[in-house]
Amino acid sequence: MDTTGAGALVKALEDVGCEVIFGMPGGAILPAYDPLFESKIRHVLVRHEQGAGHAAQGYAQTTGRVGVCMATSGPGATNLVTPLADAYMDSVPIVAITGQVARSVIGTDAFQEADIRSITLPITKHSFQVHDPADIPRVIAEAFALAVSGRPGPVLVDLPKDVLATATTYTPPKLVLPSRPVVPPVQVRNAAQLIGSSKRPVFYVGGGVIRSGAAPELLKLAEKTGIPVVTTLMARGAFPDSHRLHLGMPGMHGTVPAVAALQRADLLIALGTRFDDRVTGLLPEFAPHAAVVHADIDPAEISKNRKADVGIVGDCRDVIAALSAVLTRRTDLTAWWSYLDGLRATYPLGYDWPADGALAPQYVIERISTLAGPESVYTAGVGQHQMWAAQYVKYERPGSFINSGGAGTMGFAVPAAMGAQVGAPDRTVWAIDGDGCFQMTNQELATCAAEGIPVKVAIINNGNLGMVRQWQTLFYDGRYSNTGLGTHQRHPDFVKLADALGCVGLRCDSRSEVDGTILEAMAVRDRPVVVDFVVGQDAQVWPMVAAGTGNDEIMAARGIRPLFDEVE
Amino acid sequence: MTRHSLSLLLRNEPGALARIVVLFSSRGVDVSSLSLAPDGSGALSRLDVVVDLQPGRTPEQLVKQLGRIVDVKSVVDRTHDEALELGA
Repeated sequence: MDTTGAGALVKALEDVGCEVIFGMPGGAILPAYDPLFESKIRHVLVRHEQGAGHAAQGYAQTTGRVGVCMATSGPGATNLVTPLADAYMDSVPIVAITGQVARSVIGTDAFQEADIRSITLPITKHSFQVHDPADIPRVIAEAFALAVSGRPGPVLVDLPKDVLATATTYTPPKLVLPSRPVVPPVQVRNAAQLIGSSKRPVFYVGGGVIRSGAAPELLKLAEKTGIPVVTTLMARGAFPDSHRLHLGMPGMHGTVPAVAALQRADLLIALGTRFDDRVTGLLPEFAPHAAVVHADIDPAEISKNRKADVGIVGDCRDVIAALSAVLTRRTDLTAWWSYLDGLRATYPLGYDWPADGALAPQYVIERISTLAGPESVYTAGVGQHQMWAAQYVKYERPGSFINSGGAGTMGFAVPAAMGAQVGAPDRTVWAIDGDGCFQMTNQELATCAAEGIPVKVAIINNGNLGMVRQWQTLFYDGRYSNTGLGTHQRHPDFVKLADALGCVGLRCDSRSEVDGTILEAMAVRDRPVVVDFVVGQDAQVWPMVAAGTGNDEIMAARGIRPLFDEVE
Repeated sequence: MTRHSLSLLLRNEPGALARIVVLFSSRGVDVSSLSLAPDGSGALSRLDVVVDLQPGRTPEQLVKQLGRIVDVKSVVDRTHDEALELGA
């Protein structure tokens, strides 16, 4: 007996390469915090466990490594539920370590008891509860391997307090990563045949391309074939925005050429993507003329929402390399490109300035992108600002845009930025946030201030729950039920709040001050900065495919339906 | 609704059955009957289950989703085996 369960936990985490934990101590997890005190692992003490979970997600997505968060039993553990659900939806590799009440009182409604293993069943890849301290190193290694292998995702390890406190002998864990599935050559040949004979193909690229590190291979394959590329919300940055083959983001708020490319295609080459409803719109009307090649590491995704003509189970990096190897002939796509280029010229992304002289939110985001550049990391919450961040920031590299795609978790931006900054200390990290989202998780700015994590937050403050308000404008006759937040009346005053949290607080409400304010924020290196960009409340996100309609009904702006009119 | 008989081998771990049942519940699968029994050595359990699927949901999809569960060692769709046994 050379250690305790807690000692074994910390040693195992060190041995599997964990360098930072985002967490908060409490009764049941307390034994683990004692050996952590002298560990080489950095612990970032958050202000709310949800912040720890999202920070682990941000860290994982900037580094490509497993993010780790830690919480105590009961409410500490349940506060991790939202980040776990988020990580499950967006396939982010995180390991959550939770304390649990002692084995002898599990199931007795003990103080701070919650059955977190059961609570998280549908939102984790797997969850462990360890009953023998000798098992802890093996379980930690298994949890890390599970989180990153196959389709990445969250894993929970629940540790009863007495297991942490019991003496044990440490056995160094072996981190065994399962080998990647062999890409079936027959399917690759079938896919290549479809690609070779298609006249209107499109690469429909999802977040799996980023998770698998396949962006360089994708660039080669696209350039070799000349096939247009669209990148979903989760794949922004998987293909450079500046590239002529890139048509932008498809989906509910995608570009007209990207949506048209899917709708008019005769072949979708879907890579690491899951035909999410925000991309497909009304499923029966999605890409009606297209055959489908669907490659994904998760066999359960293939033919889930749209039947694949050729399904390839494999890691995107391997699949793309295999396709590259067999695709020799470049097909003539002149007519296809001339159609798409026409749309690109006629329907570029654009916005109007508010008639009342208020600041245009899109302009603010465009200027942050220009001044901070593609080497920065951008995070977003959920809503209008998120869509504008997806549209108006120009992404050139994978891992540069971190947001909550599948789950749509408001409040994601600030803690994710904190984790991203810890993972990438030399990069500028901008959280593009909404005034609603910001009020859900801004307490982590106190963490950032105390820990020297100099994130920058741009609050796109339109005074409302903007996306909900937009739907009320469009679909509820402008009846604005419970969407006004009072943030334009300074409830709260974000500059004062920033100051109180130990950050620099700035405010900007006019076009002429935007660049100067962004540069002023960028000049601050020793503290977090919060900029309150006061923008007009009536700006809307366009283009838009209204929920429950087909993609052909995409509106470039209110009442303008380029694809629908084309069919008429 | 379409009816399917599935047969699974599970690791005999705490919570293994819960994982299966929760998957049925979260994916909108109706359970018609369910039987769990030890299989051989005791390290595995055999779960036989008859489920009803909503229109548009395929048994192949369900089998793959069950296959993602760490405690599931194998899943077989026995719908047609049973039909044969019954001489249908």
